[in-house]
Amino acid sequence: MEKKRRPESKSTHQILIEQLKTNMGHLSQVIEEQGKALFVDRGVLGTQDVHEYTLEFLELFVMWLQAGSRLGERTPELTALEQFFSGFARQIQARGGKLETFVRYVQALQRVLIEELEENELYSFEQSREVLLLLARVFNQLVLDVFQAYLREKEQTIEVQQEELRQTSTPITEIWDGVLTLPIIGSLDSSRAMIVMEKLLTRIEEERARVVVMDVTGVLAIDSQVSHYLIQMVRAIGLMGAEAILTGIRPDIARALTSLNIDLGGVTTRGTLSDGLKEAFRRLNIEVRYVGER
Amino acid sequence: MSGSGERRLNVPGMHLTPLGGGALLLEPGEALDPSAPDPYMDAVLVALARHHCTRLIYDLSGSVLVDEIYYRWLERLAWACRISGAEMVAVNIPPAAAYALALRLKESPPFRCELDVDRARHS
Repeated sequence: MEKKRRPESKSTHQILIEQLKTNMGHLSQVIEEQGKALFVDRGVLGTQDVHEYTLEFLELFVMWLQAGSRLGERTPELTALEQFFSGFARQIQARGGKLETFVRYVQALQRVLIEELEENELYSFEQSREVLLLLARVFNQLVLDVFQAYLREKEQTIEVQQEELRQTSTPITEIWDGVLTLPIIGSLDSSRAMIVMEKLLTRIEEERARVVVMDVTGVLAIDSQVSHYLIQMVRAIGLMGAEAILTGIRPDIARALTSLNIDLGGVTTRGTLSDGLKEAFRRLNIEVRYVGER
Repeated sequence: MSGSGERRLNVPGMHLTPLGGGALLLEPGEALDPSAPDPYMDAVLVALARHHCTRLIYDLSGSVLVDEIYYRWLERLAWACRISGAEMVAVNIPPAAAYALALRLKESPPFRCELDVDRARHS
Protein backbone atom coordinates (compact mmCIF):
# COMPACT_ATOMS: atom_id res chain seq x y z
CA MET A 1 0.00 0.00 0.00
CA GLU A 2 1.40 3.38 -0.94
CA LYS A 3 2.42 5.44 2.08
CA LYS A 4 0.22 8.48 2.53
CA ARG A 5 2.12 11.73 1.92
CA ARG A 6 2.71 13.77 5.05
CA PRO A 7 0.89 17.04 5.48
CA GLU A 8 3.81 19.38 4.83
CA SER A 9 4.37 18.01 1.35
CA LYS A 10 5.72 19.99 -1.49
CA SER A 11 2.32 20.26 -3.06
CA THR A 12 1.02 22.12 -0.03
CA HIS A 13 3.91 24.55 -0.16
CA GLN A 14 3.48 24.97 -3.87
CA ILE A 15 -0.20 25.83 -3.46
CA LEU A 16 0.65 28.62 -1.06
CA ILE A 17 3.47 29.90 -3.25
CA GLU A 18 1.11 30.07 -6.18
CA GLN A 19 -1.47 31.92 -4.12
CA LEU A 20 1.06 34.41 -2.86
CA LYS A 21 2.70 35.08 -6.19
CA THR A 22 -0.60 35.39 -8.03
CA ASN A 23 -2.25 37.70 -5.53
CA MET A 24 0.74 39.45 -4.00
CA GLY A 25 -0.60 42.95 -4.58
CA HIS A 26 -4.03 42.22 -3.14
CA LEU A 27 -2.66 40.20 -0.24
CA SER A 28 -0.17 42.86 0.80
CA GLN A 29 -2.91 45.49 0.64
CA VAL A 30 -5.25 43.48 2.86
CA ILE A 31 -2.47 42.67 5.30
CA GLU A 32 -1.49 46.31 5.46
CA GLU A 33 -5.07 47.26 6.25
CA GLN A 34 -5.09 44.79 9.12
CA GLY A 35 -1.80 46.22 10.34
CA LYS A 36 -3.08 49.76 10.17
CA ALA A 37 -6.19 48.91 12.15
CA LEU A 38 -4.16 47.22 14.87
CA PHE A 39 -1.09 49.42 15.02
CA VAL A 40 -1.36 52.72 13.15
CA ASP A 41 -4.78 53.64 14.51
CA ARG A 42 -3.49 52.96 18.02
CA GLY A 43 -0.38 55.00 17.47
CA VAL A 44 2.00 52.08 17.89
CA LEU A 45 3.48 52.05 14.39
CA GLY A 46 3.48 54.39 11.45
CA THR A 47 1.97 53.65 8.04
CA GLN A 48 5.38 53.24 6.45
CA ASP A 49 6.42 50.81 9.21
CA VAL A 50 3.40 48.63 8.54
CA HIS A 51 4.08 48.70 4.82
CA GLU A 52 7.68 47.62 5.27
CA TYR A 53 6.81 44.92 7.77
CA THR A 54 4.17 43.55 5.43
CA LEU A 55 6.55 43.27 2.50
CA GLU A 56 9.24 41.74 4.65
CA PHE A 57 6.86 39.15 6.04
CA LEU A 58 5.61 38.10 2.64
CA GLU A 59 9.13 37.86 1.30
CA LEU A 60 10.37 35.73 4.19
CA PHE A 61 7.28 33.55 4.13
CA VAL A 62 7.66 32.82 0.41
CA MET A 63 11.34 32.02 0.94
CA TRP A 64 10.42 29.55 3.64
CA LEU A 65 7.81 27.94 1.43
CA GLN A 66 10.23 27.74 -1.48
CA ALA A 67 12.78 25.96 0.68
CA GLY A 68 10.19 23.20 0.98
CA SER A 69 11.31 22.24 4.47
CA ARG A 70 9.11 20.51 6.98
CA LEU A 71 7.83 22.46 9.94
CA GLY A 72 10.06 20.81 12.55
CA GLU A 73 13.24 21.41 10.57
CA ARG A 74 15.61 24.14 11.66
CA THR A 75 16.39 25.96 8.47
CA PRO A 76 17.83 29.41 7.81
CA GLU A 77 14.51 30.40 6.29
CA LEU A 78 12.57 29.41 9.40
CA THR A 79 15.11 31.14 11.63
CA ALA A 80 14.74 34.28 9.53
CA LEU A 81 10.95 34.15 9.99
CA GLU A 82 11.29 33.63 13.74
CA GLN A 83 13.72 36.53 14.02
CA PHE A 84 11.41 38.72 12.00
CA PHE A 85 8.47 38.05 14.29
CA SER A 86 10.58 38.39 17.44
CA GLY A 87 11.92 41.74 16.27
CA PHE A 88 8.46 42.85 15.28
CA ALA A 89 7.02 41.93 18.67
CA ARG A 90 9.84 43.74 20.47
CA GLN A 91 9.29 46.83 18.35
CA ILE A 92 5.59 46.86 19.18
CA GLN A 93 6.22 46.53 22.89
CA ALA A 94 8.98 49.13 22.84
CA ARG A 95 6.46 51.59 21.41
CA GLY A 96 3.88 50.84 24.07
CA GLY A 97 1.91 48.17 22.23
CA LYS A 98 0.77 44.94 23.81
CA LEU A 99 1.80 41.43 22.98
CA GLU A 100 -1.88 40.64 22.64
CA THR A 101 -2.09 43.02 19.67
CA PHE A 102 0.80 41.23 18.03
CA VAL A 103 -0.98 37.89 18.46
CA ARG A 104 -4.09 39.38 16.85
CA TYR A 105 -1.97 40.55 13.95
CA VAL A 106 -0.55 37.07 13.42
CA GLN A 107 -4.07 35.64 13.53
CA ALA A 108 -5.06 38.25 10.95
CA LEU A 109 -2.20 37.16 8.66
CA GLN A 110 -3.39 33.61 8.88
CA ARG A 111 -6.97 34.64 8.22
CA VAL A 112 -6.03 36.67 5.17
CA LEU A 113 -4.20 33.74 3.62
CA ILE A 114 -7.07 31.36 4.35
CA GLU A 115 -9.68 33.72 2.92
CA GLU A 116 -7.61 34.11 -0.20
CA LEU A 117 -7.54 30.34 -0.54
CA GLU A 118 -11.29 30.06 -0.03
CA GLU A 119 -11.93 32.39 -2.94
CA ASN A 120 -9.91 30.15 -5.19
CA GLU A 121 -11.87 27.09 -6.20
CA LEU A 122 -9.01 25.35 -8.01
CA TYR A 123 -7.99 23.19 -5.09
CA SER A 124 -9.59 20.09 -3.69
CA PHE A 125 -10.91 19.76 -0.18
CA GLU A 126 -7.91 17.62 0.70
CA GLN A 127 -5.45 20.20 -0.62
CA SER A 128 -7.23 23.02 1.16
CA ARG A 129 -7.20 21.07 4.38
CA GLU A 130 -3.45 20.49 4.11
CA VAL A 131 -2.85 24.19 3.53
CA LEU A 132 -4.96 25.11 6.54
CA LEU A 133 -3.04 22.69 8.70
CA LEU A 134 0.29 24.03 7.52
CA LEU A 135 -0.71 27.62 8.17
CA ALA A 136 -2.06 26.76 11.62
CA ARG A 137 1.12 24.95 12.58
CA VAL A 138 3.62 27.46 11.30
CA PHE A 139 1.87 30.48 12.75
CA ASN A 140 1.23 28.80 16.08
CA GLN A 141 4.90 27.89 16.27
CA LEU A 142 5.97 31.45 15.47
CA VAL A 143 3.63 32.92 18.07
CA LEU A 144 4.85 30.40 20.65
CA ASP A 145 8.48 31.36 19.95
CA VAL A 146 7.71 35.03 20.41
CA PHE A 147 5.79 34.36 23.59
CA GLN A 148 8.63 32.29 25.03
CA ALA A 149 11.14 35.05 24.24
CA TYR A 150 8.78 37.56 25.88
CA LEU A 151 8.53 35.41 29.00
CA ARG A 152 12.30 34.99 29.19
CA GLU A 153 12.78 38.73 28.97
CA LYS A 154 10.18 39.34 31.67
CA GLU A 155 11.81 36.80 33.94
CA GLN A 156 15.19 38.46 33.44
CA THR A 157 13.68 41.84 34.29
CA ILE A 158 12.11 40.42 37.42
CA GLU A 159 15.43 38.88 38.47
CA VAL A 160 17.25 42.17 37.96
CA GLN A 161 14.61 44.05 39.93
CA GLN A 162 14.71 41.49 42.71
CA GLU A 163 18.48 41.83 42.90
CA GLU A 164 18.19 45.61 43.07
CA LEU A 165 15.62 45.25 45.80
CA ARG A 166 17.89 42.92 47.71
CA GLN A 167 20.75 45.38 47.44
CA THR A 168 18.75 48.42 48.47
CA SER A 169 16.59 46.82 51.15
CA THR A 170 19.55 45.98 53.37
CA PRO A 171 21.69 49.10 53.58
CA ILE A 172 24.64 48.86 55.93
CA THR A 173 25.44 52.28 57.33
CA GLU A 174 28.25 53.47 59.57
CA ILE A 175 26.38 55.86 61.84
CA TRP A 176 29.35 56.50 64.10
CA ASP A 177 32.99 55.51 64.17
CA GLY A 178 32.96 51.80 64.71
CA VAL A 179 29.16 51.48 64.78
CA LEU A 180 27.31 49.92 61.89
CA THR A 181 23.54 49.72 61.55
CA LEU A 182 21.78 47.10 59.51
CA PRO A 183 18.01 47.54 59.13
CA ILE A 184 16.53 44.36 57.72
CA ILE A 185 13.31 44.94 55.81
CA GLY A 186 10.95 42.36 54.36
CA SER A 187 11.46 38.63 54.34
CA LEU A 188 14.72 36.91 55.18
CA ASP A 189 15.38 33.70 53.31
CA SER A 190 18.59 31.72 53.03
CA SER A 191 19.88 33.44 49.89
CA ARG A 192 19.22 36.89 51.29
CA ALA A 193 20.76 35.97 54.64
CA MET A 194 23.86 34.79 52.80
CA ILE A 195 24.16 38.03 50.80
CA VAL A 196 23.60 40.19 53.87
CA MET A 197 26.12 38.27 55.92
CA GLU A 198 28.84 38.49 53.26
CA LYS A 199 28.35 42.22 52.85
CA LEU A 200 28.19 42.81 56.58
CA LEU A 201 31.35 40.88 57.43
CA THR A 202 33.29 42.66 54.70
CA ARG A 203 32.09 46.03 56.00
CA ILE A 204 33.07 45.11 59.54
CA GLU A 205 36.59 44.45 58.31
CA GLU A 206 36.74 47.58 56.14
CA GLU A 207 35.30 49.95 58.74
CA ARG A 208 36.93 48.22 61.71
CA ALA A 209 33.52 48.19 63.29
CA ARG A 210 33.15 47.29 66.92
CA VAL A 211 29.36 47.18 67.20
CA VAL A 212 26.66 46.19 64.73
CA VAL A 213 23.08 47.15 65.48
CA MET A 214 20.71 44.89 63.52
CA ASP A 215 17.19 46.22 63.45
CA VAL A 216 14.44 43.78 62.58
CA THR A 217 11.48 46.14 62.92
CA GLY A 218 10.84 45.75 59.21
CA VAL A 219 11.04 41.97 59.10
CA LEU A 220 7.63 40.60 58.24
CA ALA A 221 7.78 37.46 60.30
CA ILE A 222 10.41 35.76 62.36
CA ASP A 223 10.01 32.02 62.49
CA SER A 224 12.46 29.34 63.58
CA GLN A 225 14.33 29.54 60.26
CA VAL A 226 14.67 33.31 60.32
CA SER A 227 15.80 33.30 63.94
CA HIS A 228 18.36 30.67 62.96
CA TYR A 229 19.75 33.05 60.31
CA LEU A 230 19.85 35.89 62.80
CA ILE A 231 21.73 33.79 65.32
CA GLN A 232 24.21 32.81 62.62
CA MET A 233 24.71 36.48 61.78
CA VAL A 234 25.29 37.34 65.42
CA ARG A 235 27.81 34.53 65.68
CA ALA A 236 29.63 35.61 62.52
CA ILE A 237 29.79 39.19 63.80
CA GLY A 238 31.33 37.88 67.00
CA LEU A 239 33.95 35.91 65.07
CA MET A 240 34.98 39.15 63.39
CA GLY A 241 35.60 40.67 66.80
CA ALA A 242 32.56 42.92 66.83
CA GLU A 243 29.47 42.87 69.02
CA ALA A 244 25.93 42.46 67.77
CA ILE A 245 22.86 44.14 69.18
CA LEU A 246 19.47 43.02 67.91
CA THR A 247 16.72 45.63 68.03
CA GLY A 248 13.12 46.02 66.99
CA ILE A 249 11.68 42.72 68.11
CA ARG A 250 8.00 43.52 68.19
CA PRO A 251 5.76 42.07 70.92
CA ASP A 252 4.10 39.68 68.47
CA ILE A 253 7.47 38.40 67.34
CA ALA A 254 8.68 37.97 70.90
CA ARG A 255 5.54 35.97 71.56
CA ALA A 256 6.08 33.86 68.46
CA LEU A 257 9.69 33.15 69.38
CA THR A 258 8.64 32.07 72.83
CA SER A 259 6.00 29.73 71.50
CA LEU A 260 8.60 28.20 69.16
CA ASN A 261 10.94 27.68 72.11
CA ILE A 262 13.61 29.70 70.37
CA ASP A 263 16.23 30.93 72.78
CA LEU A 264 18.06 34.07 71.78
CA GLY A 265 20.13 33.79 74.92
CA GLY A 266 23.55 35.28 74.45
CA VAL A 267 22.23 37.77 71.94
CA THR A 268 21.92 41.33 73.23
CA THR A 269 18.51 42.68 72.36
CA ARG A 270 16.84 46.04 72.73
CA GLY A 271 13.29 47.06 71.96
CA THR A 272 14.03 49.93 69.62
CA LEU A 273 16.80 51.07 67.33
CA SER A 274 17.24 54.08 69.58
CA ASP A 275 17.87 51.88 72.60
CA GLY A 276 20.20 49.76 70.53
CA LEU A 277 22.27 52.79 69.60
CA LYS A 278 22.44 53.89 73.20
CA GLU A 279 23.75 50.46 74.12
CA ALA A 280 26.30 50.63 71.34
CA PHE A 281 27.56 53.99 72.57
CA ARG A 282 27.70 52.71 76.11
CA ARG A 283 29.91 49.81 75.03
CA LEU A 284 32.24 52.18 73.26
CA ASN A 285 32.34 54.50 76.26
CA ILE A 286 30.71 57.23 74.23
CA GLU A 287 28.46 59.65 76.03
CA VAL A 288 25.83 61.72 74.26
CA ARG A 289 24.81 64.89 76.08
CA TYR A 290 22.56 67.82 75.33
CA VAL A 291 24.48 71.04 74.87
CA GLY A 292 22.71 74.18 75.98
CA GLU A 293 19.02 74.38 76.65
CA ARG A 294 16.79 71.54 75.63
CA MET B 1 54.83 44.50 65.97
CA SER B 2 58.28 45.15 67.41
CA GLY B 3 58.72 45.72 71.09
CA SER B 4 61.31 45.39 73.79
CA GLY B 5 62.26 41.89 74.79
CA GLU B 6 60.68 40.38 71.79
CA ARG B 7 61.98 37.10 70.69
CA ARG B 8 60.53 34.83 68.10
CA LEU B 9 60.24 31.25 69.19
CA ASN B 10 60.30 29.13 66.09
CA VAL B 11 58.53 25.84 66.16
CA PRO B 12 58.06 24.21 62.78
CA GLY B 13 54.61 25.26 61.60
CA MET B 14 54.19 28.29 63.85
CA HIS B 15 55.89 31.38 65.22
CA LEU B 16 55.45 32.52 68.81
CA THR B 17 56.29 36.13 69.67
CA PRO B 18 55.94 37.65 73.15
CA LEU B 19 54.45 41.11 72.66
CA GLY B 20 54.86 42.45 76.12
CA GLY B 21 52.04 43.28 78.52
CA GLY B 22 51.36 39.59 79.06
CA ALA B 23 50.46 38.84 75.46
CA LEU B 24 51.91 36.08 73.29
CA LEU B 25 51.31 36.13 69.54
CA LEU B 26 50.90 32.85 67.66
CA GLU B 27 51.26 33.00 63.89
CA PRO B 28 50.52 29.63 62.31
CA GLY B 29 52.51 28.63 59.24
CA GLU B 30 51.53 26.49 56.29
CA ALA B 31 53.28 23.51 57.83
CA LEU B 32 51.10 23.51 60.91
CA ASP B 33 49.24 20.22 61.12
CA PRO B 34 46.12 20.67 63.25
CA SER B 35 45.45 16.95 63.21
CA ALA B 36 48.61 16.40 65.32
CA PRO B 37 48.35 19.23 67.86
CA ASP B 38 50.39 17.91 70.77
CA PRO B 39 53.83 19.32 69.82
CA TYR B 40 52.36 22.74 69.15
CA MET B 41 50.31 22.69 72.32
CA ASP B 42 53.41 21.88 74.40
CA ALA B 43 55.39 24.68 72.78
CA VAL B 44 52.60 27.21 73.40
CA LEU B 45 52.08 26.26 77.02
CA VAL B 46 55.81 26.36 77.71
CA ALA B 47 56.06 29.79 76.10
CA LEU B 48 53.08 31.12 78.07
CA ALA B 49 54.67 30.01 81.30
CA ARG B 50 58.21 31.18 80.45
CA HIS B 51 57.10 34.69 79.53
CA HIS B 52 54.39 34.97 82.15
CA CYS B 53 51.75 35.57 79.51
CA THR B 54 48.07 35.58 80.32
CA ARG B 55 46.82 36.13 76.80
CA LEU B 56 47.47 34.08 73.68
CA ILE B 57 46.67 35.99 70.49
CA TYR B 58 46.10 33.57 67.60
CA ASP B 59 46.46 35.22 64.19
CA LEU B 60 44.12 33.64 61.65
CA SER B 61 44.96 36.03 58.81
CA GLY B 62 46.46 33.23 56.73
CA SER B 63 43.49 30.90 57.13
CA VAL B 64 41.24 30.89 54.09
CA LEU B 65 38.96 28.38 55.72
CA VAL B 66 38.65 26.96 59.21
CA ASP B 67 37.46 23.41 58.78
CA GLU B 68 36.35 20.89 61.41
CA ILE B 69 39.86 19.69 62.20
CA TYR B 70 41.31 23.15 62.41
CA TYR B 71 38.48 24.35 64.64
CA ARG B 72 38.96 21.39 66.93
CA TRP B 73 42.61 22.38 67.27
CA LEU B 74 41.58 25.94 68.18
CA GLU B 75 39.11 24.63 70.74
CA ARG B 76 41.69 22.38 72.40
CA LEU B 77 44.25 25.15 72.46
CA ALA B 78 41.74 27.53 74.04
CA TRP B 79 40.87 25.02 76.73
CA ALA B 80 44.54 24.34 77.41
CA CYS B 81 45.18 28.06 77.76
CA ARG B 82 42.29 28.43 80.14
CA ILE B 83 43.59 25.61 82.30
CA SER B 84 46.96 27.33 82.31
CA GLY B 85 45.44 30.58 83.47
CA ALA B 86 45.51 32.34 80.11
CA GLU B 87 42.83 33.36 77.68
CA MET B 88 42.97 32.85 73.95
CA VAL B 89 41.92 35.57 71.51
CA ALA B 90 41.58 34.84 67.79
CA VAL B 91 42.27 37.77 65.49
CA ASN B 92 42.23 38.66 61.78
CA ILE B 93 39.76 35.99 60.80
CA PRO B 94 38.87 36.62 57.11
CA PRO B 95 35.20 37.42 56.45
CA ALA B 96 34.76 34.33 54.29
CA ALA B 97 36.18 32.07 57.01
CA ALA B 98 33.99 33.77 59.65
CA TYR B 99 30.95 33.27 57.47
CA ALA B 100 31.66 29.59 56.87
CA LEU B 101 32.42 28.97 60.52
CA ALA B 102 29.27 30.76 61.67
CA LEU B 103 27.19 28.44 59.53
CA ARG B 104 28.71 25.40 61.20
CA LEU B 105 28.96 26.42 64.84
CA LYS B 106 26.16 25.41 67.16
CA GLU B 107 27.44 27.49 70.05
CA SER B 108 29.88 30.29 70.70
CA PRO B 109 33.57 29.34 70.50
CA PRO B 110 35.56 28.91 73.72
CA PHE B 111 37.85 31.76 72.72
CA ARG B 112 37.35 35.46 72.25
CA CYS B 113 37.63 37.12 68.85
CA GLU B 114 38.98 40.56 68.00
CA LEU B 115 39.44 42.33 64.71
CA ASP B 116 43.23 42.56 64.91
CA VAL B 117 46.29 42.15 67.12
CA ASP B 118 46.19 45.72 68.36
CA ARG B 119 42.64 45.37 69.69
CA ALA B 120 43.43 42.00 71.20
CA ARG B 121 46.37 43.49 73.10
CA HIS B 122 44.40 46.38 74.54
CA SER B 123 40.98 44.91 75.11
